[in-house]
Amino acid sequence: MGQSAEFDAIVVGAGPAGATAAYHLAKRGFNVLLVERGRGAGSKQVFGGRIYAEPLREVFDDLDKAPIHRWVRRERFTILDGDRELTLDFRAGASTSFTAYLTQFTQWIAQKAVDAGAVLADEVRVDGLWLDGGRVRGIVAGPDRVAARVVIVAEGVNRLLLERAGFVHRASPRELALGVKEVIKLDKKTIEERFGLEEGEGLAWVLLGEVTDFIPGGAFVYTNRDTLSVGLVVHLGGAYQLLRDQVHVLAERLRTHPRLSRFFEGGDIMEYSAHMTIEDSVGYMPEHFAYDGMVIVGDAAGLLLNTGLTIRGVDYAAYSGYLAAKGVERALSEGDASAEALRRHYEVPLRESFIYRDLMRHRGASYAMKNPRMFREYPRVALDTLEEIYTLGRETPLPHEALARALSRNRVGFAEFALRMLKVVMSL
Amino acid sequence: MSLEMMVGIKWVPNTQNVRFDPKTGTLIREGVPSIVNPADLDAVELALKVKDTYGGRVRVITMAPPSAVKGIEHVIGMGVDAGVLVTDRVFAGADTLATSYVLSQAIKKLGLPDLLFFGQETIDSSTAHIPAQVASWLDLPYVYYVDRVEEVNREEGYAVVRRKLEDRYEWVRVELPAVIAAALKSQVPRPVRLSEKLRFHRDKPLQTLTNKDLGLDPRCVGLRGSPTIVAKVTWMPEVPRKRQVFKGDAREAARWLVKKLAEEGILVREDGRWRVRVA
Ligand SMILES: Cc1cc2nc3c(=O)[nH]c(=O)nc-3n(C[C@H](O)[C@H](O)[C@H](O)COP(=O)(O)OP(=O)(O)OC[C@H]3O[C@@H](n4cnc5c(N)ncnc54)[C@H](O)[C@@H]3O)c2cc1C
Ligand SMILES: Cc1cc2nc3c(=O)[nH]c(=O)nc-3n(C[C@H](O)[C@H](O)[C@H](O)COP(=O)(O)OP(=O)(O)OC[C@H]3O[C@@H](n4cnc5c(N)ncnc54)[C@H](O)[C@@H]3O)c2cc1C
Repeated sequence: MGQSAEFDAIVVGAGPAGATAAYHLAKRGFNVLLVERGRGAGSKQVFGGRIYAEPLREVFDDLDKAPIHRWVRRERFTILDGDRELTLDFRAGASTSFTAYLTQFTQWIAQKAVDAGAVLADEVRVDGLWLDGGRVRGIVAGPDRVAARVVIVAEGVNRLLLERAGFVHRASPRELALGVKEVIKLDKKTIEERFGLEEGEGLAWVLLGEVTDFIPGGAFVYTNRDTLSVGLVVHLGGAYQLLRDQVHVLAERLRTHPRLSRFFEGGDIMEYSAHMTIEDSVGYMPEHFAYDGMVIVGDAAGLLLNTGLTIRGVDYAAYSGYLAAKGVERALSEGDASAEALRRHYEVPLRESFIYRDLMRHRGASYAMKNPRMFREYPRVALDTLEEIYTLGRETPLPHEALARALSRNRVGFAEFALRMLKVVMSL
Repeated sequence: MSLEMMVGIKWVPNTQNVRFDPKTGTLIREGVPSIVNPADLDAVELALKVKDTYGGRVRVITMAPPSAVKGIEHVIGMGVDAGVLVTDRVFAGADTLATSYVLSQAIKKLGLPDLLFFGQETIDSSTAHIPAQVASWLDLPYVYYVDRVEEVNREEGYAVVRRKLEDRYEWVRVELPAVIAAALKSQVPRPVRLSEKLRFHRDKPLQTLTNKDLGLDPRCVGLRGSPTIVAKVTWMPEVPRKRQVFKGDAREAARWLVKKLAEEGILVREDGRWRVRVA
């Protein structure tokens, strides 16, 4: 057995959740160890995404110094089917989110943690939680055990430690989605020209339909400073194995799609990565966010909201890390790291926060989004309706006639359609 | 006194991730993380195995910019006792002669170890000059392609090492102190341990040497001390593969292959025999 050292807190995983928790605890004078299996913090994050800023302003008072690529003003939503395309293009009055490389963003947080005095031990995989009669006493890594007053589990969506120690059930494929992302290099000017952006302005684009092979899920394009993040997220459902083998084909199809390839033309692919993400957050959540000697933050706690149009994981992760740090501070200052104390100081504030409330509110919508008809029949109804309205011969149909014909062509009942649409609209 | 070992490591851009810009003919290093030269981990592992058997101390030394501390941290994570960073602006732009000169003078200053290990070659230059040059600056015996240290006898001042050659092994008895280059990919470098990482952060077993410490003549180091001139760098264009697959038995496959190669003009028929065409 190797030597052991005492820490106030050990954080497992230097993603946005863990790095933030480590930063806020170190800043408050605690002796913190941040353990990451990758080379450097953030090295295992999937490159490129859009991050919502508002919650982070409370977490980082110097957010404007973060490695931000572009502030997103343009939101685009597209349904593709063959050579038909329906696009909604929205330019917001103000920007509340930015694009960034998650790797850089996480490194930025981790550097703050190190500057505040946290010890970052990278290239070390934690193999298990050190359990002592149900209480978490520390971590096990290879032959070494290290003890801490509190362990903060920030291991992300692939939560082997929590599973192995019996704190959570094994995730069912229904609760997960698979994301793939490519980073395509283009110069700054070209990006702004092709996407019709002002200088420094960002675009977030969601695409449905043919691009995901009508499998439930969506594709996305984000503009970074001089690259594009292009990818898709497909719900795993029962088709896990099939998708795992197919998903790179989908990514390729997205990039070479005749209606889209002109946006990517001439760009070099710099990165390709695939990563799991949470689909059914509430189903995936652990029963509690705190146990004796341990709190759970970020993706590992199931804190991710994918509405189909927007995805929020990074801001939730960082914010939960921040709440955890504040909760752990209170618990430790009372000298009590029991489940009860940690729940009082972390779990309760988390459940009262916008994160948990929104996850619960969106639960129903998430079921609506899971209906496969959302991704094949309904988009086609929209396209067929527009086709009826715009592609005129002699007759000019009334709008409801156009819709009725589109519905019957796609074998969708009117009542069903109206109800679904209502549900989705309400959820937005 | 116990056994003293030192390992030279180089901090290199991870060339597996480096791509070539065919337009400008330069390496695209943007965003490419550096790593410890992989062959040097063989050397570190070889030294740590000697330490496992005989005890003693293993230090690493690198001439590099300060960012190489991350590399020193990595090998200390593996169990190396301490690291020495040799760094100074005047050392920049060195070729292998100037690099080996600075390294050998730094090693002399630190005190000659019993065993001085190196990797076989680097992934970013692959000259394999450094170990031999250091050995000659220090006037020490040099054995390379070593995959095993069989015996170290400090009292009698010798070591027996095994050299891994293409078709055979060779055992060499060498006088101490000696310079040893580990055979490429001959070891499985041990994983980083959390307790060793914690030791690194707690004890900071790190020493920095600049030219203030070494006092070397500026004309013999860095760019000025480097007689090598890189006249030109070019690259091997990738040949697009035709990806033809033949299915059938070996005899037929051989005939098919010969026919194809002849069609491509790679094989030519001369005096009733097939011959590879000389370009
Ligand atoms: C394709 C895709 C696109 C996405 N796009 C967006 C987006 O645009 N905007 C957004 O907000 N969110 C997005 N997300 C979600 C977002 O990436 C996550 O919600 C967020 O990264 C969660 O942060 P985390 O710190 O909880 O976990 P992670 O970021 O997963 O970090 C966990 C860390 O723990 C480390 N680790 C795990 N196990 C161990 C162990 N045993 N020992 C040591 N270290 C360990 C890992 O290496 C990793 O660094 C996307 C996700 C995917 C898959
Ligand atoms: C013609 C030429 C010009 C060069 N010009 C420059 C230049 O302008 N600027 C520049 O930065 N570099 C330059 N270099 C690279 C640099 O000088 C060499 O890489 C360095 O001297 C080591 O040579 P190598 O990488 O071929 O190592 P090798 O001799 O292949 O390395 C063998 C072993 O020696 C050890 N070793 C090698 N380098 C070091 C080191 N620095 N510290 C400790 N141990 C080491 C390692 O154990 C390694 O496995 C040049 C190289 C060449 C060949």
